[in-house]
Amino acid sequence: MENHNEVLLKVDHLCQYFRLGRKDLKAVDDVSFEIRKGETFGLVGESGCGKTTTGRSIIKLYDITSGNVYFKGQRIGAGTHSYQDAIKNAKADAKKKIEALKADKSASPAAVEAEIKQIKADLAETVAKNRALIRDAKFDHKEVDKQYAASLVKALDEEFAEKFAAAKGDAEQTKALKREYKNRRRVAKKSKYITQIQMIFQDPIASLDPRMTVRDIIAEGMIINGVTDKEYINQKVYEILETVGLVREHADRYPHEFSGGQRQRIGIARSVVMQPEMIIADEPVSALDVSIQAQVINLLNDLRESQGLTILFIAHDLSVVKYFSDRIGVMYFGKMVELADSDELFKYPLHPYTKSLLSAIPLPDPVYEKQRTRITYNPIAEHDYSVDTPSFREIRPGHFVYCNDAEEAKYKAIVNGEAEG
Amino acid sequence: MNKEVKLSVNNLKVSFRTDGGKVQAVRDISFDLYKGETLAIVGESGSGKSVTSKAIMGISAVNAIYEGGEILYDGQDLVRIPEEEMHKLRGDKIAMIFQDPLSSLNPIMRIGRQITEAMLLKNKANRKEGRVSFNKMLAELSDMMKKALAESADKRFTAADVDKYIKTFDSFNIQSIKLENSYTDARTHTEEMIAIMEDFLFMTEKRQKIDVVGELKQVARKLKQIDDKYFTAKYTDVLKEHALALDAAIRVEKAKVSLGDSVKKLVGKNAAQKDASPETVEILKAIKATAEEMVAQTPYNFFRIGYYIYKNPTVDLSRMPAEEANEIAIKFLMEDFMTSFLELEKIAVQYSFRKTLENKKEAIKALQSTIEFFKAGNFTDREAEAICKSINKTVLAAIDPLAVIKDNVAYTFGGALEREVEKYFFYIKNNPKEEERFAKQTAKREALLAKGKKVDWNVVPKSIIEPEAQIETIVSVLTRVMNRFKADVENAESVDFDKRCVEIVDYLKGKASQVVYKLTKRIAKEKAIKLMEEVGIPEARMRYRQYPFEFSGGMRQRIVIAIALSANPDILICDEPTTALDVTIQAQILELINKLKRERDLSIIFITHDLGVVANMADRIAVMYAGKIVEYGTSEEVFYNPQHPYTWALLASMPDLDTNEKLDAIPGTPPNMIYPPVGDAFAERNKYAMEIDFEMQPPMYQVSPTHYAATWLLHPNAPKVEMPKIITERIRRMKERGGNYGES
Repeated sequence: MENHNEVLLKVDHLCQYFRLGRKDLKAVDDVSFEIRKGETFGLVGESGCGKTTTGRSIIKLYDITSGNVYFKGQRIGAGTHSYQDAIKNAKADAKKKIEALKADKSASPAAVEAEIKQIKADLAETVAKNRALIRDAKFDHKEVDKQYAASLVKALDEEFAEKFAAAKGDAEQTKALKREYKNRRRVAKKSKYITQIQMIFQDPIASLDPRMTVRDIIAEGMIINGVTDKEYINQKVYEILETVGLVREHADRYPHEFSGGQRQRIGIARSVVMQPEMIIADEPVSALDVSIQAQVINLLNDLRESQGLTILFIAHDLSVVKYFSDRIGVMYFGKMVELADSDELFKYPLHPYTKSLLSAIPLPDPVYEKQRTRITYNPIAEHDYSVDTPSFREIRPGHFVYCNDAEEAKYKAIVNGEAEG
Repeated sequence: MNKEVKLSVNNLKVSFRTDGGKVQAVRDISFDLYKGETLAIVGESGSGKSVTSKAIMGISAVNAIYEGGEILYDGQDLVRIPEEEMHKLRGDKIAMIFQDPLSSLNPIMRIGRQITEAMLLKNKANRKEGRVSFNKMLAELSDMMKKALAESADKRFTAADVDKYIKTFDSFNIQSIKLENSYTDARTHTEEMIAIMEDFLFMTEKRQKIDVVGELKQVARKLKQIDDKYFTAKYTDVLKEHALALDAAIRVEKAKVSLGDSVKKLVGKNAAQKDASPETVEILKAIKATAEEMVAQTPYNFFRIGYYIYKNPTVDLSRMPAEEANEIAIKFLMEDFMTSFLELEKIAVQYSFRKTLENKKEAIKALQSTIEFFKAGNFTDREAEAICKSINKTVLAAIDPLAVIKDNVAYTFGGALEREVEKYFFYIKNNPKEEERFAKQTAKREALLAKGKKVDWNVVPKSIIEPEAQIETIVSVLTRVMNRFKADVENAESVDFDKRCVEIVDYLKGKASQVVYKLTKRIAKEKAIKLMEEVGIPEARMRYRQYPFEFSGGMRQRIVIAIALSANPDILICDEPTTALDVTIQAQILELINKLKRERDLSIIFITHDLGVVANMADRIAVMYAGKIVEYGTSEEVFYNPQHPYTWALLASMPDLDTNEKLDAIPGTPPNMIYPPVGDAFAERNKYAMEIDFEMQPPMYQVSPTHYAATWLLHPNAPKVEMPKIITERIRRMKERGGNYGES
């Protein structure tokens, strides 16, 4: 948890729309956040608010509509919707301006002509700029893995060029080198940038193929990546099984022979075996018993410490998220409404939705429970966004809230008042 | 603690027959459920909590064996009553909500139909049952009267009198049923008319398109059908006015329908759809107000009036207000008929009671000898069958046919005994393979013990049911009915015969009007919509016609709750109703269940693995592990003063908002219940386990009058053990936050 300042994943104005008849369903609408190396970022919200979609968009299970996703500084996902919108708007704008000029009888025709020319030139420039952006985005979105593989191969080539040069003349050594080069080149060629992010799914029954043994399930990723050495794969599988608290003998069993907690461990093993830098855990404990939940959470915590993993933790159980995460983002209907350190968020919840969410957490305390009143959140009554449009703003260092000017002032007053008192 | 016990589970044992052997899912649990309280059963999956609830509902899997114990509800042992009797209780008195709402809803049936289905079916069955019961009781009564007169010294009545009285009773009852039928018909039509108008007003208010003329015509048709003279007595003129106004309105609306629309309608396409004019709405509102007033008026007592009309067919009582008519009718009924009828009835009731009392005394003797017969063992199945048959005959003869409140224990006795005896012979059969295995394992175990090694497993018995235990069960069935009879014999002196006579007449009356009460689809719909509103479904009238998939998870669960409540049950079993839902929805559903509990005085069994959910809901909590209750007490006691290590482990394994330390996960998995451990089942996973925990099962220790825990740690000689830090810390914090409990 040392390197907390290096940004590992940056999500920048991410939008994910789904076609729904004539309209678009805005599953994720303009969400931005950063995840630093080694931290756990929690994403909470009620079902259907877009938390899972966000996770899936990051790992490119969907083609994102607009916005950018950067991983270790490299753009891994990009959408083109915003650029297309920009072009459309610019064209409409230009058309309107030209019409206004033409309608204006008082100006001299020559001046009008010149102005129109100027406008058209501007338009052409904007369109060209945005088209270039679209091209870039499309290239990055599609070719990032190829580029990555190519760079790996190039590095490998350079490395082995030296080695070959050194081993020149020695037939035996050259042969061995050649074999190693061949193997590693195959792996490099098949590597994908995106495999550095792995995902753990909610339902351990549905996400494991019932016809594959645990060994096949865990090794599948490596095989796809071009590893052919059976010994090496087995070694790895055993190693990882022990890491997640299972034993070697489990490798030849089928998923249905395991209990819920053990199945989830298999899911975790499958994602950790690829040695990812980051894991997206999509409600990994929601389907489990309380005692098993604790086992899985402890396992994830151990893995985070031993392997330096960064985790994006998606869940709706707030007490688990609070326990597990360093920072928490609260989502509501596709928007990120509040983002803060987990302690800060629970101490000073600002957005009314967060307050309502916190008031719904059941605790093992009967007296408190009998007094607890749930706050209901009604966005229409709560906000007036007709004039003053909201955006995602920083109220305190590291504490962001989705609000407008009036609300920002109010929240700031609350925060300052509480900080003093 | 003088609360009414609704359901009581005593020493229940349930096992499952599997290929691997007998899985003991529930091992000897007992608890009581009081009226209007919530009992939470908490435990890991596989601890037997769902098996318990399914046993109560009588929906256990086919390979389940009830090894012993009883579930008492309303004097009946739910484990042993036949399926037909269970049918009457299931869903009706005891309802259940499952974890996954979608699996308990029919995907291709509209929500409305699913909610009303049970109501309609039940109504139909009720009417049929009413007629049968009425005839049966009357026949029984006449039979008994004749027998009694033949033996009695009372010479006021003769057998011919009996026939006359019974005939009079029957025919005036038919008369009153006719009257009541016509009355309720009119009432039903009125209610349906209100329903149509409510739909109409709702649609116009929402500015939805609607076939105005068609709807108005329907109202007019209904208005014509309301023609019972008792029902409309005061309103004939008003209704006539309404009918005229309505006709006028129909004419006006018809004029507004364009030619195109009419043509469309003629060819059967979309009916004419448009808004109604405000005048029409006003007229409808007026009609609705009158109709509601009519429905609310004091009902006539047709049982009384029926006799009056039967004797004086020319008199018209409908001119009189209901109270007055009722008054006159009862006076006439009493003087002319009922007093002497009751006297005659009393002779019969007394006779029947005395007769059955003697039978009961005999039955007790017979039962005693039967018990001895079974206790002695060594009986063949033929012998057992014969004795079952004869004892059942004796017991049935001892039931008073004129007792209105059925003695359920005696009624269900025959079937229960037969089934238990059958079970005895079914499982006792010799199986050479099993014998061999048993001998082998016993030898192995004894060899190990002889070497002085510790053996922590028991040999699985060779038969699935132990004969001794089964005989005990059979004896308990016999003893129950015997005790019941003994109590009856003792209380024989204090029986109030007059009261019994009146009860019989009331019973007949009730059964007769049961035939009349009709529930039509329209009225069922109104009821369903009310119910949907009660469980918090917005716009119920719109959603009535939707399919389950059109609802979100929380709404679906609400619909399941509405269906469960439609029969107005006594007991509601919730099997993890919120596990599949997220936090806010979960909170809403829990609030709803709590609200309904308060309003309807429901008794709830709430099953969950999440202790956090329970704190808000439960009055009492039972923690289950490996088929046993390891701790139970009020929710304050269990949360602030937990005693059993398993409860500690459950509490410690879930984080709350202030937890920062590593969670104490429970290591390992629950034990394999084919080989249940000798000692405390939790010992293997328990870091506080002592040696005795592996050797002997701990008894229930009392912590307070309402709080018990089964752990050796409570034994006076046990070492003092501190609760895990994570829990003590939490309890300290909770007390600071406001809980002032736990100073004991």
